[in-house]
Amino acid sequence: MLREEYKDLADLCVREARRLGAEYAEARIHGGTGTGFLLKNGEPQPSMLEDSFGIAARVVVGGAMGFSATNLLSRERVKDMTARTIKMTKSTSRLVKEPIAMGDSKLVKRKVWVAEMEPVAGADPNWLKSLLLEVDGRVAKLGSGANGVKIPNRIMAASAGVEEKYVVTSDGGKVESRVPRFNFFAILTALKGGDAAQRTIQQGETGGLEIVKRIRLLELVEAEAQTLAEVLKEAEKAPTGIMDVVLSPELSGIAAHESVGHPQEADRILGREGAQAGESYLTKDSLGTKVGSKEANVSDDPTIPHSNGYSPVDDEGVAAKKRRLIVDGKITEFLQNRATSSLLKVRNNGASRSSGFDREPIIRMSNTFVEPGDYATTEELIKEVKDGIYLKSFTEWNIDDKRLNQRYTGLEAYRIKNGETTNLVRAPILEITTPALWGSVKGRSKRLEFEAANCGKGDPMQGIPVWTGGPDTLLSGVRIVGGG
Amino acid sequence: MAKLMGPEESNKFGVSFAKKLGADEAILITVISNERMARFANSSVTVTKNVSESGQVVYLAKGGRRIIGSSSNPEKASLERFIELLYKSMMSLPKDAGYVPLPSQGRAYRPKATHDRKLESAEGLLAGYVQEAIASAESAGARRTAGSLEAGVTTHHIMSSTGTVGSDTSSEILLNIRAFTDKDASGHGLSCAASVRGFDPEMAGTRAGYHSKKMRNARQLAGEEKAYQVLMSPTVAANLLGLVGEFASAFSIEAGTSYLVGKLGKKVASEDLDLTDRGKGDGCLDSRTFDDEGQPTQSTKLIEKGVLKRYLHNLSTAKRFKTKSTGNAGLIEPGPWNLEIGAGDSTYDEMVKELRHGLILTSNWYTRFKNYRTGEFSTVPRDGTYLVESGKVKAPIKGIRISDSLERMFSSIRLLSKEREWVQWWEVDTPTLCPWVLVDGVTVTKAYGDSPSQGS
Repeated sequence: MLREEYKDLADLCVREARRLGAEYAEARIHGGTGTGFLLKNGEPQPSMLEDSFGIAARVVVGGAMGFSATNLLSRERVKDMTARTIKMTKSTSRLVKEPIAMGDSKLVKRKVWVAEMEPVAGADPNWLKSLLLEVDGRVAKLGSGANGVKIPNRIMAASAGVEEKYVVTSDGGKVESRVPRFNFFAILTALKGGDAAQRTIQQGETGGLEIVKRIRLLELVEAEAQTLAEVLKEAEKAPTGIMDVVLSPELSGIAAHESVGHPQEADRILGREGAQAGESYLTKDSLGTKVGSKEANVSDDPTIPHSNGYSPVDDEGVAAKKRRLIVDGKITEFLQNRATSSLLKVRNNGASRSSGFDREPIIRMSNTFVEPGDYATTEELIKEVKDGIYLKSFTEWNIDDKRLNQRYTGLEAYRIKNGETTNLVRAPILEITTPALWGSVKGRSKRLEFEAANCGKGDPMQGIPVWTGGPDTLLSGVRIVGGG
Repeated sequence: MAKLMGPEESNKFGVSFAKKLGADEAILITVISNERMARFANSSVTVTKNVSESGQVVYLAKGGRRIIGSSSNPEKASLERFIELLYKSMMSLPKDAGYVPLPSQGRAYRPKATHDRKLESAEGLLAGYVQEAIASAESAGARRTAGSLEAGVTTHHIMSSTGTVGSDTSSEILLNIRAFTDKDASGHGLSCAASVRGFDPEMAGTRAGYHSKKMRNARQLAGEEKAYQVLMSPTVAANLLGLVGEFASAFSIEAGTSYLVGKLGKKVASEDLDLTDRGKGDGCLDSRTFDDEGQPTQSTKLIEKGVLKRYLHNLSTAKRFKTKSTGNAGLIEPGPWNLEIGAGDSTYDEMVKELRHGLILTSNWYTRFKNYRTGEFSTVPRDGTYLVESGKVKAPIKGIRISDSLERMFSSIRLLSKEREWVQWWEVDTPTLCPWVLVDGVTVTKAYGDSPSQGS
């Protein structure tokens, strides 16, 4: 639990840093408690409990940035760490060719408290085990081999916990947050003869254990298992060539995340993530550039209630807001933090987040999605397609580090003929450039759905909870390859 | 503020308190780490970092029940509360079918000072190495660079209720540098070592700079999907071959998330391939004397002459597989420590000459699986990538993807180089000693940008 004495340590850290000459100082107490449970093929594994808190200090001295962290939470340790951070940062300022400034973003003093109808504290190991056994039982029954398909391999994990933070900055920001979460993850492997198909399922929201009912977890996983068996049993060879493709919310979401959200992170654009996560096909002058059709509209919104990427105030003390990344095919906004918005002289939209006390805050997506459109239903959108494919779920995906060359391999995918879905098809592959994908968007349905994901970025790596989502999205005349 | 306990005090207290509560077995592992990092972009340092952590892993067992906890609070009262909670939670659970008692006789592991003490306080060293790497890249042709340099020392302290006690310290220094000459022209270099003795920032910088220069005016491959001979650098080969360590974990086998299910004793690669997991030894970056169950680590031959010889085990999986632990716990999931790919007898130049219609790949990222059970995957080459015709490098290439299966690729390994390098970076979790590897018939695809309505 975030204790009052921990908050005093953060305040002390900022005061000390300023006293020792920091132009800017920020301290963050960050941690949480949680419980996790894992089933392997229906067999419970040892439960896992976690309790972790620490302090992070970030300073700017002479245009250089320094970051330190420790979980040894005593006044002496924190004072010592702060002094060392200042010394370390000063010693590297001669290697800084591009001085860092935090700018004058509008900072807030706020408490962020996510409500729980059923507190996550109720998710003890026994509760999680019972939940998972119930889910697993339904899948095992479906995959018992009665229809020629077995689902012998089932990894299922559930966790519930609370993330707590206290962020204080030397220029007036002060944010305290308490965000409970529930997460579910599964890998199901279906076998039929020598053939195999696999589905990864991830669900996650902020809130209490009511999430389990809200997302209808049992029914959802059961339906996924049913579909997996059908794919293995019934899917036919996929057609290849140029055709119309309808992306489900799951596919729209991953495409929005990978080829819009990532390349529009300002730190990538400015080269800061060049060594590992990569840069961007865009430049700082790309605002206003056309990268898609009029129907291409993509946003990132950290303020959606219950969302996995819920972060209404960022880890630099800046109130976050919805970001319109692409509007009518044109790039309208990048994701910013204090340093990049100051450098680019634009408004800071509060996208700085960290995964734990031992990681620096960097620019992150929250809930990235294709905006819904005008078609009332999925079926109405599919009616527009004479001969094509409906990609409903995917397995393998990747994209190059400039975010131009991406690939999504379908799992549940249907042939569309004369405006209607017909048979399942096996593993059609959409391998396409970013401008080609967003340039081909012809229509969108009204339904907006989200999937949970963990987004990786940074060095050391930081996995951070996000949602990806969107409506059904019609791509006109794109190439489908592979399939088999 | 309450007093913070040191690692040995914390372990001793934790084990004794767990026993007092009634636990049959307890293991306390306290991990103390101190890591320093300097990151740079556009040839300018963007941040320096120092992270000091102390974390405890607690394992309890009682009457066939098991539970694991992870805490970062070394205050006595907090650890006491945490162990109480763990014990109470464990007792609410039924017996665990995977429970295996710890060996009745514990082991003592005497600490050996094999790590590099210079890496205990590396601030001064880091700045010099960063400068050296950037200067080397720029001398080799780079216009700008981005990278990270990380140095750290980690000590694992263990104590169990069965008498196991000891500690183990390892050190490592890792540099990863990328050089750019324009948007599409980049090169990658890395150097990693357990001590500054084997660390070479100049080589890494020069390599990144060299490729960034060579990659200027890179072009797309003509045509659609094709098979190529592919010569993979140690960086690329370590990414793909290193995955065998995870796939050979008995946990992955039981979970069905491995293409090696049912392949024990069978041929899974070309007979030129040998792959060994090593807990400790010369050059090992993630050196461990004991695993998380207190069992001694060892050298385990996973693939010998192309035949799968062993899976990696902890005590629990070993019992189910009717074999012995390989000292690779993971309390839940056994995993590799350091991987070593056997050297071949070719030189790099000889391997390039063997390429009739091939590609040289020097770096890759974003390897993802269509199906772990079949090993079908794709990965995206980046940085220095070259088309080779009749043994001669013809052109730098951009915008490609490798789309294949691990087993098919490893069965088509034709040559391995004599020289090997240690690889660990963003895309290679397990430190891997790896040669250049030539593979026949690799499927190469590319993205299509032929939307008729583009820009409309």
